[in-house]
Amino acid sequence: MNANGIKLGLAFYTTLFLVFLYGPLVVLAILSFQTGPEGGPQFPIIEWSTYWYKHLFGLTPPSRIAPLPIEEGLVRSLVLAVMTMIVSTVLGVTSAQAFRTRFKGSGVVFYLIVLGMMVPGVLVGLGMALVANTLGIDRHWWGTTFVLHVVYTYPFAFLVMLAIFNRFDPSVEEAAWSLGVTPARTFRKITFPLIFPGVLSAMLFAFTLSYDEFSRTLFASGRDLTLPLAIYGTFSVEVHPNVFAFGVLTTLFSFALLGTYAVLMSLSVRRARRVLVQEDA
Amino acid sequence: MTAVLHLRNVVKQYGDSRALDGVSLSLPDNSYISLLGPSGSGKTTLLRVIAGFEQPEAGEIRFQGARIDALPPHQRGIGFVFQNFALFPHLSVEQNIAFGLTNRAIDPVTDGEVVRRKVKDMIALVGLTGLEDRGVSQISGGQKQRVALARTLVTEPKMVLLDEPLGALDANLRTRMRSELRSIRERCGVTFLHVTGSETEALAMGDTVLVLDRARIAQQGDADTIYNRPSSPAVARFLNCYNLLPGQVSGESFVSSVGTLGLGGLRQTAANPTYAIRYDRVSIRAKDAALADGETGIDGTFIASEYTGSAVNAFFTLADGSIFEVEQHLSHAAPSTFEPQAAYRLAWKKEDALVYA
Repeated sequence: MNANGIKLGLAFYTTLFLVFLYGPLVVLAILSFQTGPEGGPQFPIIEWSTYWYKHLFGLTPPSRIAPLPIEEGLVRSLVLAVMTMIVSTVLGVTSAQAFRTRFKGSGVVFYLIVLGMMVPGVLVGLGMALVANTLGIDRHWWGTTFVLHVVYTYPFAFLVMLAIFNRFDPSVEEAAWSLGVTPARTFRKITFPLIFPGVLSAMLFAFTLSYDEFSRTLFASGRDLTLPLAIYGTFSVEVHPNVFAFGVLTTLFSFALLGTYAVLMSLSVRRARRVLVQEDA
Repeated sequence: MTAVLHLRNVVKQYGDSRALDGVSLSLPDNSYISLLGPSGSGKTTLLRVIAGFEQPEAGEIRFQGARIDALPPHQRGIGFVFQNFALFPHLSVEQNIAFGLTNRAIDPVTDGEVVRRKVKDMIALVGLTGLEDRGVSQISGGQKQRVALARTLVTEPKMVLLDEPLGALDANLRTRMRSELRSIRERCGVTFLHVTGSETEALAMGDTVLVLDRARIAQQGDADTIYNRPSSPAVARFLNCYNLLPGQVSGESFVSSVGTLGLGGLRQTAANPTYAIRYDRVSIRAKDAALADGETGIDGTFIASEYTGSAVNAFFTLADGSIFEVEQHLSHAAPSTFEPQAAYRLAWKKEDALVYA
């Protein structure tokens, strides 16, 4: 096959890939502009409207379709994701730092940490529910679920930081020590600023993984539902395009999050290059 | 001159191999010391042990009279300049230099005015004026070298360890930085311990030269002594200016596999008897030329020569196939041409030879 043929083939493959990747999302996005309240979650579009977006925020006249019970779930999920993000990132950074020097049993500890992302979520969730019942612990999104989210996202943060430290040149730390600076201050002033882009990535991972975590949460969350559970709950009755409208909004929110990440990242990279005035002056 | 650093029997082990095998040394205050060793001889390990980055398994390190081998690096007061410079990439030139002063645990300088003045003086000393606000990725290799040095010197350590500090620079810059380093050291009055794998660098820079061989100190002395009287065949080999011929001493001559050689020069004891003659002490004669009184020599077949500008290095093979090198300085004579694959007589004065037996 000639070079042009290969190019054409690859282009076709890439197009297919993109269609499969984004097709469902595009369909949802289009359907979210279906007219309401009589229009359903299927083609054809009877009439273009923003009815379901208004419906989400309770701006439409009352109809037989109940508003999505997601307001509290959204708040819970956001709070939970932030909590998980903080704890997992701190754990990930500190344990990756520990793994920079070989210690006894480091192999075992490594696999124990990584196990958290390997084991099936349903099993862990069910196991947590059983343990909580046996020990008489109430299941809450801020308790049992939070623990499971940390167990799940911590390995991701850990692996990200491990990769970052792998490429980290330890001689800059040794240089700081030899100048009489304590290891703790060296970490704060030298190591941390240099690994900060990695820390941002770890935070992003932990946040997004926790935010839409479903299977672990299903069994461990108890009475108060998180956002993914609340949305799932609405499916069991009847699916309306308001779920799609909500999906579009959360996707936009995720893009905003990624945008923030990109901005912070480029700022921190640029800060490394930028001409600075004396910090401690 | 008082000694600033003492090592006694320092041992450092990596798995089964000993990187330092009972190193003992004593370094004078306020001087430039170069540490020469081939790669793998343990020279970087020695520096890292002195700095505290590695813990020795045994031995004692005394710095300014106090034992420091149990202290963490930041309490030792010994500066370290890395081969790759290890500048703080997120800080500017000025911030790099000020970092130690403002952040050190012992006696940090908190007065911004004092910091600025000291940093300014140091920047002037190492010749970086005008680059204060540059990022460290925006300066050249030689300038990075100066920042690394300035960052260390501004904290006023009593001693600075330099790990192949010129290794990352190109040849031109390397020679210029040599004299710079020496003069900067003189102005600061501290001891520099400079590790290098280059014999010319070691000899050119060190007031005292240490030679490290197979995890031990093989010789310590001034450059002249090291160059003219290497204490062992191994040291002679690193200097890269001696032909070494193995053999046995027998009466008043040295029997080697390429012929019997006359004894006459300095004799030193060594485990493996070796006869050493410097490249530039050998003269090349016609095949049947007679030896003058007090001379000795061997026959060799000319292979090729190499022009280095100030000298020509001629290579010969000996009877046993080994290579023999002769250096002819062009200031002494015009280069003579030799016939490839032809036999020549290689002669030298007996007293110029060094014999290890």
